[in-house]
Amino acid sequence: MRPNDEVLRIENIGYRYHGAERPALNGVSVTVRRGERVAVLGSNGAGKSTFFLCCNGVLRPQSGRILLNGNAVGKTKREVYALRQAIGLVFQDPDNQIIAGTVESEIAFGPMNLKLPGDEVDSRVDSAISRLNLEQYRTSAPHYLSGGEKKRVAIADILAMEPQVILFDEPTASLDPLNVAAFERTLEELSNSGIAIVISTHDVDFAYRATDRAVVFANGAITADTSVESVFGDAAVLAAAGLRKPLLFEAAEILGLAVRPRTIEQLRRASLGES
Amino acid sequence: MITAALAMAFVGSLSYGKLPAPLAVPLSIGTGAALFIFGRHSHTDGRIPIDVMAQRSRLNTLNPTLKLAAALALIAVCIASANPYPGLLLTLAMPCIAIHGRTPKLRDYVQTIALPSAFIIIGGLALLFEVCGEPAGALNLRVFSIWLCVSPESQARTAVVVAKAFGASSCMITLGLTTPMPQLIGALRRLRCPDLIVDLMYLIYRYIFILLTLHTEMRDAARSRLGFRTYRTALRSTGDIYSNLLAASYRFASRNFDAMESRCYDSGIRFRESSRRATLPECLICAALFAIAVTLAIMPL
Repeated sequence: MRPNDEVLRIENIGYRYHGAERPALNGVSVTVRRGERVAVLGSNGAGKSTFFLCCNGVLRPQSGRILLNGNAVGKTKREVYALRQAIGLVFQDPDNQIIAGTVESEIAFGPMNLKLPGDEVDSRVDSAISRLNLEQYRTSAPHYLSGGEKKRVAIADILAMEPQVILFDEPTASLDPLNVAAFERTLEELSNSGIAIVISTHDVDFAYRATDRAVVFANGAITADTSVESVFGDAAVLAAAGLRKPLLFEAAEILGLAVRPRTIEQLRRASLGES
Repeated sequence: MITAALAMAFVGSLSYGKLPAPLAVPLSIGTGAALFIFGRHSHTDGRIPIDVMAQRSRLNTLNPTLKLAAALALIAVCIASANPYPGLLLTLAMPCIAIHGRTPKLRDYVQTIALPSAFIIIGGLALLFEVCGEPAGALNLRVFSIWLCVSPESQARTAVVVAKAFGASSCMITLGLTTPMPQLIGALRRLRCPDLIVDLMYLIYRYIFILLTLHTEMRDAARSRLGFRTYRTALRSTGDIYSNLLAASYRFASRNFDAMESRCYDSGIRFRESSRRATLPECLICAALFAIAVTLAIMPL
């Protein structure tokens, strides 16, 4: 039995790259629910990217199993494609993802691979372009866009596949503060529409601000999977994963506040004793 | 500058004895001067000028299949012709068509055609001059103990070959300057070009820009550390950059493939290719240009 809102369940998966001394993933179990916002934290080489590639079906776990909407994902192409469609993956560098010569044909790549009818492809492309505010770049060549614009195209690529979960690998790396703010607004909209968001990041301030739950990786295993407040309040977990506390979290501790504010505005209110 | 000097020598030699001197001299100097002034290219980092111009051209909204089919038909007529007239027509008409789209400007067009022109002119000079033991042509140049002669026959032969080459090149360049590459590749798919070739063209087009950006970054990084200070260090840096580029492109290709697989790629790259239908006036203009070229091709020399 699964709770109605459970979308993806990873059960005890393991993966070792060919020739590697130790496994990249070892007994990893995670459940993702509809509309949830999850941060995946950990140092470089902790297994976050391998975990994402397994969740999306690009890598096949050598042990354990993956359940999509309660059904175990088998080895048939149909099942793997269903997993890739439902669990979208936005790569860290948009240039790794973008392959087409125009923005609209790039966004249509996924829906075309799903062998959808032409009208349906057009409608999904139009919808993704509209949601990511890319109308003026529709016929532009992606290689002439800025980093932030390319990132929006990469997200639109995945949105057009109508996923239930979107995995973001280091989404704020190489984005300026304005584009980070725009990205946070996009996350908010996606989450409100019921799509679960899973974000791998080193930016603890961003993770604390934008997500509710944190999964911490160290040496290919999960060392914590709980609320962001609990994770950042646990010095042992942070030390093992090579992480630091978010600045707002630390400021609240120093000020002796009972609440843990996520934004500057919340910190100001809490320090003034407002509710 | 070399192209301009070659062009001047070529036009002068080709017109020697055929045109009166008051016409031939300004014509050869004018050709050289035009290439010297407009033909100088500027370096552009991470951008390919012909691609940028095609993206901006007002003619890039026309049906690409019609443009490609018309260009191929005109090139075929130009090459099959026994006289230089279709080649001359296309050499003169194509820049007018290209600049009609506002982008490129005439200067950009000349810059683009300058490089192929150099190759055509070098080939033309080789056809024009014959090595003789004694003066035997309309124009004779002594080089040590031999003579380089230009005969009326070699002038006629060269005029036909060079006009064909210029006409065909003009067609290709105008097509390239008014049609973004993704549209051209889509048109090739519609003209039943094999899928494997079309897919490779899409990927190669994308990778040109990725590798160009990577190369620019690596070169700037080397330059910032005095990697190009002397000829010796420049050679070493260039070698290092290209070997790094190979390794980087391999890593990039691997990540790119993962990204394609994550979006359900199985085999064959499929994009939604949309283009405006060709209108009747556009078809008629192409047909008229083709008819004029054919008429000129069957005219006696």
